[in-house]
Amino acid sequence: MQYFEVLGLAPRLSLDLKDLEKRFYAKSRELHPDRFARAPQAEQQRALELSSLLNDAYRTLREPIARAEYVLKNSGFDIGEQRSKDVPPELLEEVFELNMALEEADRPQIEAAGVRFEKLRAEIDQELATRFGQWDQAAETGTLAQIRGLLNRRRYIENLLRDVNVHLSN
Amino acid sequence: MAYSDKVVDHYNNPRNVGSMDKADPNVGTGMVGAPECGDVMKLQIKVNPATHIIEDAKFKTFGCGSAIASSSLATEWLKGKTVDEALDIKNTDIVNELALPPVKIHCSVLAEDAIKAAISDYKAKSTVETAVTA
Repeated sequence: MQYFEVLGLAPRLSLDLKDLEKRFYAKSRELHPDRFARAPQAEQQRALELSSLLNDAYRTLREPIARAEYVLKNSGFDIGEQRSKDVPPELLEEVFELNMALEEADRPQIEAAGVRFEKLRAEIDQELATRFGQWDQAAETGTLAQIRGLLNRRRYIENLLRDVNVHLSN
Repeated sequence: MAYSDKVVDHYNNPRNVGSMDKADPNVGTGMVGAPECGDVMKLQIKVNPATHIIEDAKFKTFGCGSAIASSSLATEWLKGKTVDEALDIKNTDIVNELALPPVKIHCSVLAEDAIKAAISDYKAKSTVETAVTA
């Protein structure tokens, strides 16, 4: 996986962000255009390309969710088009109920839902961290499937929180 | 992106919006969703147990215009069909009827999933029911 390689890392889901930042700065200096001012054209071009890859890599890997999506995509998981099978029925039920509440615009209910969904998101993030560690120990496809399920849930909840905030600001 | 006239029509005048009693043994409920866009769709059918004909269909969808139109159209098509005929409804039929653009095809897939889910819920219920009465 290119993004990890360019930063000199093995593919890992749990990363030390301080270390990641250090690696990013060190590599950026290595690839700085000033150092290639007198180098042949082809080498300058190569440094520029690597530098752009490095930026993309750092931007993606420093965000745990983007990092997990990157690993999933490069492990043969399609994270774009998804079917409802990947979402637990209780969550759909809950999402449906919240949407009903939002439609009826009952403010206290919306506020309570906002709090509940923030808590749910925090729980998901905690479970994601556990699964990340698990995958780093033994890179099993089953673990990635669980991670994808968690990311789906998380996206639903993010959307709901966005709706909650829209309703509360009206 | 412009919606087709049929999508706009279903969006402005959705058919069969509502809900039925989930606990009714003749009612099948399908609840489906698409995590990436945050859509949720509930589709219900009421089946005559003697004839297996779908006598009523209701839906409630939270999502974009195409998702609402797809489920509205699905309820129209479901009424009067037998449960087995209803299983033949394909998402591509919905795409063609509503002239959905490629980016909205997943809305029709969601509607097909909802139909299948409602039917399998009804079937699961009616098997239990038969087992109890037998």
